[in-house]
Amino acid sequence: MALRIAFGQYYAADSPIHRLDARTKVIGALALMLLTFFVRTPAQLALALAFAAALTATSRVSAARLLEAARPLLVMVVLLSLFNLLLVRGGETLVSLGPVTITSAGAWAAVLYSLRVAIAICAGLLLLLATTPTELTDAFEAILSPLARLGLPAHELAMVFSLMLRFIPTLADELSAILDAQRSRGASLSQGSPARRLRSLVPVIVALLASALHHANGLSRTLDARCFAAGAPRTHWHPLRLGREDAVAALVLVAFATGLIALGQVTQLPVAP
Amino acid sequence: MPAAAEKSVASLSHVTLRYERGALALDDVSLDVRAGEHVCVLGANGSGKSTLALVLAGLLAPDAGDVTLLGEQVLAGGHVDFAAYGRARRGLGLVFQNPDDQIVTTVVEDDVAFGPENLCVEPAQIERRVRRELDRVAMGAFAKADPTRLSGGQKQRVAIAGALAMEPRLLVLDEPGALLDVRGRRAIMRVMGRLRAAGTTIVHVTHFMEEALAADRVIVLSEGKVALSGTPEQVFSHAEKIAALGLEEPFCARLASRLQALGVGVDWTVDDDALTRRLASLLAAAPAAPAPAPVPSPAEPSPATPGDEPAILADDVSFAYGSADHAHALDHVSLSVAPGASVAIVGQTGSGKSTLARIACALETPDAGRMVVGGIDTATRRNRRLLHGRIGYVMQHPERQLFAETVLKDVAFGPTNLGLSAEEVARRSRRALAIVGLADKADASPFELSGGQQRLCAIAGVLAMRPRTLVLDEPTAGLDPRGRTQLARILADVHARGVTVAVVTHSMDDAALAQQVIVLDRSHVMADGTPASVFAEKSAASLADAGLGLPTALSWALALRDAGAPDLGAPLTLDALATAIASRLALAAPAAPGAPAAPGEPVGPREVR
Repeated sequence: MALRIAFGQYYAADSPIHRLDARTKVIGALALMLLTFFVRTPAQLALALAFAAALTATSRVSAARLLEAARPLLVMVVLLSLFNLLLVRGGETLVSLGPVTITSAGAWAAVLYSLRVAIAICAGLLLLLATTPTELTDAFEAILSPLARLGLPAHELAMVFSLMLRFIPTLADELSAILDAQRSRGASLSQGSPARRLRSLVPVIVALLASALHHANGLSRTLDARCFAAGAPRTHWHPLRLGREDAVAALVLVAFATGLIALGQVTQLPVAP
Repeated sequence: MPAAAEKSVASLSHVTLRYERGALALDDVSLDVRAGEHVCVLGANGSGKSTLALVLAGLLAPDAGDVTLLGEQVLAGGHVDFAAYGRARRGLGLVFQNPDDQIVTTVVEDDVAFGPENLCVEPAQIERRVRRELDRVAMGAFAKADPTRLSGGQKQRVAIAGALAMEPRLLVLDEPGALLDVRGRRAIMRVMGRLRAAGTTIVHVTHFMEEALAADRVIVLSEGKVALSGTPEQVFSHAEKIAALGLEEPFCARLASRLQALGVGVDWTVDDDALTRRLASLLAAAPAAPAPAPVPSPAEPSPATPGDEPAILADDVSFAYGSADHAHALDHVSLSVAPGASVAIVGQTGSGKSTLARIACALETPDAGRMVVGGIDTATRRNRRLLHGRIGYVMQHPERQLFAETVLKDVAFGPTNLGLSAEEVARRSRRALAIVGLADKADASPFELSGGQQRLCAIAGVLAMRPRTLVLDEPTAGLDPRGRTQLARILADVHARGVTVAVVTHSMDDAALAQQVIVLDRSHVMADGTPASVFAEKSAASLADAGLGLPTALSWALALRDAGAPDLGAPLTLDALATAIASRLALAAPAAPGAPAAPGEPVGPREVR
């Protein structure tokens, strides 16, 4: 099919990152995403980028595959940097063309915010690419299990998340088939007034919903046939087990966090805010 | 009790099940499945086969009757015992049609492990089962693969491995091959052969009569009732009843009947080998005759008048999808289709057939080369929009794209987009519905139609645009024999009105009935010509290499020759084969050799007996 989404698809490889306990990876990725908010100076940015690059290299995920998976999100990064470039004012004026004014603070903000988001995306994608959905489901279940006592259905939430990842490509294929069918029947999905375009989306959405319901029926039959019962005890083929590697990973992450925050104290911003 | 429980795996007694809308899905059904048995369930669409499969898999409780599954009485006099159902279900496996809905994770081996994990099997034991079952379905090399990138047949084998890893005492397969190509279906049949040898109890629901021949027992359902039951031979001997139930006998049985009608002294049989041996000895003993009378090809290509604009002209077309894993979908493809022709496009999954169809329908533009449809080049956006009104595209499973409140509104979508007047839209839509035989359903919701009717409704939506060229991508996939015959009639009707009909198909028997056959193999055109030129003995090896076979009739002719019979020419249809045999035996009626194979039958992409 024409529309292929590489988002959230496991990349089989044998690397130290792949071998880590899924819980370590989930918490590590979340920590890394949070840490990007502390990045303010060029030195910090360089350190964070170097760390992300080192992580990618360690995971043995090919850069091409990472980029392919990131493609749908990169549009967002580009838009974000454009907004910053044009809207943030401060420092000296670099370019002034009619209504467009680019200042040094705007340029720095464009670089900083887009790279921060890029690092966060890299962390998230490495987690998804180097962890099987089953491991992810188990990890989320384990992490959320303290909340289960408060009535939060941890395993079910994790299962729904994993099924969502599984069905994204299937529904994307269906969507592209529906668009093909309607275009070949003369539908004008990219022409006319906004109101008309919006109207022409209705048949697409109805058909996609019908198809999603159809899949949902099949899927619930599968879950029944394979004896999945919400809340019932089950075993794990690869039980989660924290090992020496996880301890090493935790230490590396703590060292990175400390270094990053310390670096923020001693280095300067390139432009006065 | 223990002895009885061991013998009978599933037992249904006077079971009745009513759908929500009140229609009876199962009507007083009684049957027993014994341990180690391979039972095949046949029936037209809507006969209750799938409902029966769900009941046997413990996923649907009937409204009345008694059901015992794996020794657990789950239903007694219409009273459901949920605890017993829960226990029984642990030993019941189900695989159904759509492989996409049966895979719950994005790694093959994890998916196989999902069932055993739910059954609380020990990790070491799960490991053993996953490896064993992946090997059994020949998917061991794909253990780490992403199922969404596998072919339908491979996914279905993963689904079977997932069911087998739960070590079910009864495996229910509900049309596992319905959505697969020939190679995919053959692989499933091989797996089933292995399971049968291992003593697994199997209930197999299918639309393919040939598959039923492998069963110990065949049950034919009709309107929720057991219409016929017995060995394959017993069941298929009721030729008239089988036809009346919307089914079709296997090729061998039809050939034997046809030969008997022509006066050849053969016994009716469903045993391929027996019939081959008998015919070979008859033919070898026949007096040496001159070269066989030329077998009339059922469809000679109509000589295109020079100067006619080709309906479809591909000139050195190449195309690749964006992502890295589809290297080339089409690689320097050139072909031409005469206006008003009927064309079959064959090739296994991934050969580029569907891409060719999409490019011909102006949904995609070639990366290199030109695609000209009815004299209009698809290169510009304006031309593509123009073509969307002139070339009709019926994609795979078009019924999944229905959306409107009524059948009539759904069909009217295309003509309305063409900017026609309301009266003209209504006229065309009603006419299209009449062609597909759904005139009386105009005001029904498309979602209330049966699967086969939904397919016809979607096709009507394309016909209502009055396309000059109609491209259909596997239009018969998942239909029962009656639905396939009906669709063949509709297409023959449309073709007789001068519409160019191009059908992407997995069936070599269907392809043999077209005027032109285009064979695609790994993004290239491997062969292009009349059925007689494409399906010849000398091309058998290259077709096999492309994952394809020969039309059944031709395979039979070659098998007969290998068994010592003289050359029968190259018959491509059952009738041509029967006529060739009869004329060899000098038994044919004088008019037979020159007469068309199926008098009165319009040229269509499907053999109609």
